[in-house]
Amino acid sequence: MTSASRTPSQTPPAVPSGAAEGGGPAAPEGRSPGQLMWRRFKRDRPGVVSACVVAFFFLVALAAPLISKVYGKDPTTTYGIDRPGLLNEFGYPVKPNGGISGDFWFGIEPTLGRDVLTQLVYGIRTSLLIAAAATVLCVLTGILIGVTAGYVGGRTDYFLGRFIDLLLAFPSQLSFIAFTPVVYSLFVSPNKETPTYLRVLTLILVLWVLGWMGMARLLRGQVLSLREREFVEAAKVTGASPWRIITKELLPNLWTPILVQSTLMLPTIVTIEAGLSFIGVGILEPTPDWGRMFANGAHYYESDITYIFFPGLAMIAFVVAFNLLGDSVRDAFDPRTAR
Amino acid sequence: MTSATMFLRRRARLSAAALAAGALVLSACSSGGGGGGDGDKQSQGPGEDKTTSANYSIGTKADSAGPAPEVSGAKKGGTVGVLQRDAFNHLDPGQIYYSDVLTNQMLYNRTLTSYKVDDKGRVKVVGDLATDAGTASDGGKTWKFTLKDGLKFEDGSPITSKDVRWGIERLYAPFETDGPLYIPQWLSGDGNAFRKALPEGPYDGKHLPASVLDTPDDKTVIFHFAKPHADTPFATAMPNIGPVKAEKDTKQKYDNAPFSSGPYKVADYKVGKSLTLVRNEHWDPKTDPVRHQYPDKFEISFGHQFADSTRRFLADQGADKNAMSFSNAVAPEMTEKVLGQSDTKARRFVEIQPYVDYISFNMDRLGDVRVRKALALAMPNGQIVQQMGGATAGLLATNYLSPAMDGYRPTDPFGKKKSPAGDPEKAKQLLTEAGKVGQEIVYAYANTDVQQKVAVVVTQALERAGFKVQKKEVDSNTWRTAIAEVKNQFDIYRTSWGADWPVSSTVVPPLFDGRQIADGAQNYSHLNNSKIDAEIDRISAIPDVKQAAPEWQKLADRILTDEVAGVPVFYNRQFSLWGSNLGGVKYHPVYGTADPTGAFVK
Repeated sequence: MTSASRTPSQTPPAVPSGAAEGGGPAAPEGRSPGQLMWRRFKRDRPGVVSACVVAFFFLVALAAPLISKVYGKDPTTTYGIDRPGLLNEFGYPVKPNGGISGDFWFGIEPTLGRDVLTQLVYGIRTSLLIAAAATVLCVLTGILIGVTAGYVGGRTDYFLGRFIDLLLAFPSQLSFIAFTPVVYSLFVSPNKETPTYLRVLTLILVLWVLGWMGMARLLRGQVLSLREREFVEAAKVTGASPWRIITKELLPNLWTPILVQSTLMLPTIVTIEAGLSFIGVGILEPTPDWGRMFANGAHYYESDITYIFFPGLAMIAFVVAFNLLGDSVRDAFDPRTAR
Repeated sequence: MTSATMFLRRRARLSAAALAAGALVLSACSSGGGGGGDGDKQSQGPGEDKTTSANYSIGTKADSAGPAPEVSGAKKGGTVGVLQRDAFNHLDPGQIYYSDVLTNQMLYNRTLTSYKVDDKGRVKVVGDLATDAGTASDGGKTWKFTLKDGLKFEDGSPITSKDVRWGIERLYAPFETDGPLYIPQWLSGDGNAFRKALPEGPYDGKHLPASVLDTPDDKTVIFHFAKPHADTPFATAMPNIGPVKAEKDTKQKYDNAPFSSGPYKVADYKVGKSLTLVRNEHWDPKTDPVRHQYPDKFEISFGHQFADSTRRFLADQGADKNAMSFSNAVAPEMTEKVLGQSDTKARRFVEIQPYVDYISFNMDRLGDVRVRKALALAMPNGQIVQQMGGATAGLLATNYLSPAMDGYRPTDPFGKKKSPAGDPEKAKQLLTEAGKVGQEIVYAYANTDVQQKVAVVVTQALERAGFKVQKKEVDSNTWRTAIAEVKNQFDIYRTSWGADWPVSSTVVPPLFDGRQIADGAQNYSHLNNSKIDAEIDRISAIPDVKQAAPEWQKLADRILTDEVAGVPVFYNRQFSLWGSNLGGVKYHPVYGTADPTGAFVK
């Protein structure tokens, strides 16, 4: 995670009920910060558009089998090999523009001749599933460890901090490459194929193990500054339990960095996952994968540039939209840092 | 031939193109799209294959006399640039085995015999240092070579039979491990046992006795082999059967500064980066039937991926006009572009290499011959070739021997020509007969992007024939070792093999001799049949290479149809491109590379 610097530069609203701020007309009383945030967010047009784009991607990923059914193709059939006349003798689509036709809307894949549209849709599904799962795990772990370290402090903080340092020192890409074959050889018999679910689980696992530290660091810092504030002291004086203080006093003030951080984390993990498939330790053929489509596209672009066009465009749209969404969420939570 | 230790010369064609996808998309437009597909590109693409067995012969004394016939239009002068992907692993002729360094050594190293390639692609084994391709006596056990007059090293000192003896004897030293070892093994014993004859090489003053390697005078070299070896003229054309001057032999350091006997000498060598060869003034063209000395210099540089070198040759700008590559092929993804650009017509070739790709069947695990037959029938050869790069990367194979082999006949017992996608019905029928429908097959492959795709088509074809496939990906760096383990856990895997010379004694015994099963050896299918072994011995003993050739083909076909130790998939092809200002570049059918010995700057 390299996006830690994009977190809010100012402290979040200090008091949970600080409803008086905000640029709009004097709001009638009784709105929660969440409602205020939602109102501000709705007025932010790029934010709404990017939210729609992101929602569209998730919808596409969820509805992949449906799309495939309606469209009448599936991602694993090698149309180009099975039907003569689609690929030439070098394995490239015969028709111009990567073989785009009424039959194959996004063209066909060079050499194997699979349908690009369904490959892409299923590839997005694979990548988003892995990224979403890894993000949720990273966020949960980050909250747990960050808040614990910040609130408990002292020796616990010291050891958790050094543990985070240790994990941050791991070169993540290299660790992935070294770690995955070990997992496979542990769980798979030498003459059985590694099942795809195990590959997916392993990817989620390695992305999780080396991905939560940024979040934890950030939250620890936030908690350190929050726990000395008056409202926390007041809660302590009234005899509230640590659990209540964390959940009722601290966490509501932490939602901003958590939301912002996770909206930035998800596209990063999508690109890391794509990178892993690119270098061959991620998802293998024949499971469709977004990242591997790039790897192949980078090979074919001299002769068939259309093949990389759609996966590339989709990836750019997704990452940009998700980043804009993250920005908008931050702005909505904290209008003082206007762009 | 007996237990020759041979290595795979072929290197996996991996080209890592790491490009930012985003940047690509920004520059993308709808200009993509692929060709006609109606075969019109075929005619202007892969040329006629000159590599056929009929084109090989042993040259006469007249063929062996220099100088080499002039290349038409050739001019002296200029600098030829050479772009290579991998850094040369050796310059010491004693250590050379891979095709890139084999080609490179032709420029500075001369051998007893050599391959003379005419403009029609016909190959003759001729005397290079020797006046002819050798004279056999004693039923093929004794071979005599006479050196030519006027042979000189790069310092002007004469090359004598003592220098050739030194060159051979230093192969016995423990540090000389990477080169082909035919001659020392034929002289002094199989495997590594020959090293006992001269444990330190010639360096402590000891020499092989005259009853083994005799140099009665300055001009004569006589080999006394333990068994008859009809293909000796081919073995003496390997780069390590040449002269090394004792005073200049720096042992391991010789690898960085070989002492030249050929038309060029090493001027500057930056290991892993570049090599500059300049004219050797003491080389006399009148003694050399093979090489020319047209350019002043060869500037060889390393680290050029196939895609890079192809792009540079295509652009044909500045110094790249005078550039070529020995072994870099046109990147498969750029094949169409090259064939589509009409000005490349005169500066490219597509030729069959002596390398064959197989899918080997592990016979320790696949005991039932019907299952192996079904596998062979179901294998989608044509689809595999397409994943490897299509028509310019390979030609569908129908039997174990390459068309480059002497005695090759286009037998096709499994009907691969007729059904390039495999014959699933027939395979299924065989499986049903054997009662093995649903048999699990562990298919191991090196984890590269191309092999992943090959795995897709192989799996699909085998499952259509009624197999269940378990794909196992193996790290591509450890792939060779993994499949060469006798106790490996895989059923089928891709292997490849290149003959050292166009006689099948360098193919059938190492691949199918049951006595050669060992970790790291090339009997990948673990075929162990005493009848086959006996037949190998019988054919090896035939004193005439030409008589033995059809017998090897028959034996290879018998192994393919009766034992089904594996299925041949395709013959590799070399697709080369070079700069427009170079002339005289031609294909070297034995090394499977672009031959620089006749190249000149226009």
